[in-house]
Amino acid sequence: MSAFDDRSPPTDYLGLGGSYDPASEEFAELRELLLGKERRQLEELQRRLDTLGLSPEELAEHLPEAIALRAGRDQKLAKALAPTVENALSESVRRNPKQIATAIFPVLGPAIRKAIAEALAGLVGSINQAVENSLSLRGIRWRIEGWRTGVPYAQIVLRHALIYRVEQVFLIHAETGLLLGHAAPADLKAADGDLISGMLTAIQDFVADSFHERESGGLRSFSVGELTVIVEQGPQAVIAAVVRGQPPATLLPRLQDTLENIHLQLVNAFAEFSGDASRFAPAHPLLEECLETVLSTDRGRLPRVRSAWMRWAIPTAVVGLLLVFLAWRSHRTWSTAMARLQAEPGIELLETSRGGGRWMVRGLRDPLSADPARVLASINADPARLEARWEPYLSLEPSLVVERTRRWLAAPATVSLLFRRDSVIAGGTAPLAWVGGVLLRATLPPGVAAIDLSRVDAELPPRLAALRNDTEQRLVLFDPGSATLSSVSRGMLAGVAGSFRPLAREAEEMGYRVSLQLIGRTDSTGTDAVNQALSLERVEAARTALISIGMAPAELDGIGIGTSRPLAPREGADQSRINRSVAFVVRLNPLGGRLARKP
Amino acid sequence: MIQKKVCMVGVFGVGKTCLVQQFVHSIFSAKYHSTVGVKIDRKVVSLDGTEATLLLWDLAGRDGVEDVAVSYLRGSHAILYVVDGTRKETLDQIFELRELARGAIGEVPSAVALNKSDLTSEWVLGPSDEKAFSDLGWHAVRTSAKTGDGVEQAFSWLARAAIDAGEKPS
Repeated sequence: MSAFDDRSPPTDYLGLGGSYDPASEEFAELRELLLGKERRQLEELQRRLDTLGLSPEELAEHLPEAIALRAGRDQKLAKALAPTVENALSESVRRNPKQIATAIFPVLGPAIRKAIAEALAGLVGSINQAVENSLSLRGIRWRIEGWRTGVPYAQIVLRHALIYRVEQVFLIHAETGLLLGHAAPADLKAADGDLISGMLTAIQDFVADSFHERESGGLRSFSVGELTVIVEQGPQAVIAAVVRGQPPATLLPRLQDTLENIHLQLVNAFAEFSGDASRFAPAHPLLEECLETVLSTDRGRLPRVRSAWMRWAIPTAVVGLLLVFLAWRSHRTWSTAMARLQAEPGIELLETSRGGGRWMVRGLRDPLSADPARVLASINADPARLEARWEPYLSLEPSLVVERTRRWLAAPATVSLLFRRDSVIAGGTAPLAWVGGVLLRATLPPGVAAIDLSRVDAELPPRLAALRNDTEQRLVLFDPGSATLSSVSRGMLAGVAGSFRPLAREAEEMGYRVSLQLIGRTDSTGTDAVNQALSLERVEAARTALISIGMAPAELDGIGIGTSRPLAPREGADQSRINRSVAFVVRLNPLGGRLARKP
Repeated sequence: MIQKKVCMVGVFGVGKTCLVQQFVHSIFSAKYHSTVGVKIDRKVVSLDGTEATLLLWDLAGRDGVEDVAVSYLRGSHAILYVVDGTRKETLDQIFELRELARGAIGEVPSAVALNKSDLTSEWVLGPSDEKAFSDLGWHAVRTSAKTGDGVEQAFSWLARAAIDAGEKPS
């Protein structure tokens, strides 16, 4: 209360005496004049004193900054706020679950999917592991061990596959050794946690006393067989984890963190602790978080790498073998195709290569050789793969020489050609005109030194054939024992000459020389010597007569054969009569007969 | 459930361990006494329908008082002293032990078991000795490891006293 309060009892401060009215204007004015400044200062101070605790306005002003400042310094703010935030969240969920569900759905959805995927992967991994173990030598050994010791197989597998397992976590009151919290998996029966925690505390004390190391925090960890107990000391409580197997380096920091958290969250419970552990129930989830089982299926690079390798080995081998097979088949197709092309007459490969599914070829090719595309198609190779650059050349392969000669000669199909050494030998039949034409040519195809046409049976054109036929049908008959030509015989000779002359002339135009052979015969009476001489006389008589009617002596030649090779009897004439005769044979000789390259 | 730490103190041969053996749940063997110097057992007592657990720290008593490991006393909610009623000197040693405990942890509810009460012919303690305990505020009970007389009573008293002490505003 201010000394200048209007309601204070009246006091004669100024020694004016008598009564005064504090409400009077004069007094107020006087007071303002004398003390106005000081009074206002005092009022301001009063106001500040009244609001010494932070007003909500001031708190609101500084709260964000304060939170940021503290959060930057350490984690205590977050840890202290955590229970409140959790409560607020659970209250919010209780009141309106839908709103929270909507808000966290985008986060939760992927997380759930991931968890399910991981769980499935883990399940597959476990099945793989179980199958692997049950089939392997190790699996059999474990089964024998299980049978021998009476321990279920699953536990044996777990024991061997276990890397580490945080089996139990104790939260122990530091001073009394009383158990504040205990976490253990459901499958692990753990009674007497209170006795163990007491004894653990006693042992801690015992070690600290024995080695005078109380200040340094006492026993941190100890091992018994497969078990390791890791102990972390806090000011109010001790956390102890019982680990089967090899504890990881990350476990101790985790325990420290948990212990710090518990201290922070349960500071009141610690302060008021007098044996009632139920106040430490909130620590239970934190302790349970420390429990974990890590199997070699979960961790351990070696087995995983090996199994990953195994998982890929078979497909890789299959793909590899397939690739090798395809490569081998492709190579085989290629080499077969190249060999086939190389074997083809008129094709010479100079360079071959392949790549990108294409076959690159450079070589020589005779225009008469087979089409390479057809050659490839004949062995079921894709002709489209071939990229060839051919240089034309002339091959001396016999088949090509023969073909070239055939084309060069324009030989009819009835003519057969054969290449021997350096010559082409022709056979078969061909029109006389063709044979004659060939024989008149001055050149030979490349690679051919000579063409032998002597074995070709030249066929006369029909008109000439009729002329020859007419000539050869004629017989000049004689009287018995005579070589004198009758008038009939002279007429017959004129007919012979008449047929022979156009035949000879036209055949000569086709490159043939035609000659007429006269064959003299006798009947069978008389001696052979007489007959032989007589037959010759008859030939000479006919020849002379033919020359006399204009035939060239060179065209004629004759032989007397007496009674040898007599003519068969003809209709209307006995054999003796028709053998007293001169017969005619037309001979065609090619002017060359053999076409040879001129030196 | 309420838990309390109770230390059991007494020199060698007063029959501490035998006294409680049949009343407690134990998982540790007697050799802990000779190794660690303490053996911890559990005793559940019923108080007015509710149960309380006493963690009984059985401190090894060897020849002298100085053998008792003081650090085991730390945090005790109550102490049970054990005296051999047939040996006067164990009584004197109890007072030494009491001083030791007070020095270490201050004043806590305490009871004294005057053991071997079945050996009436050898009993050497008189009413004055028992009165000395009640003057200290201790609860004195005649006990017999052989018959089990008085043991439950001693535990119940300790549990009640420890709980009452814990509920007092500190």
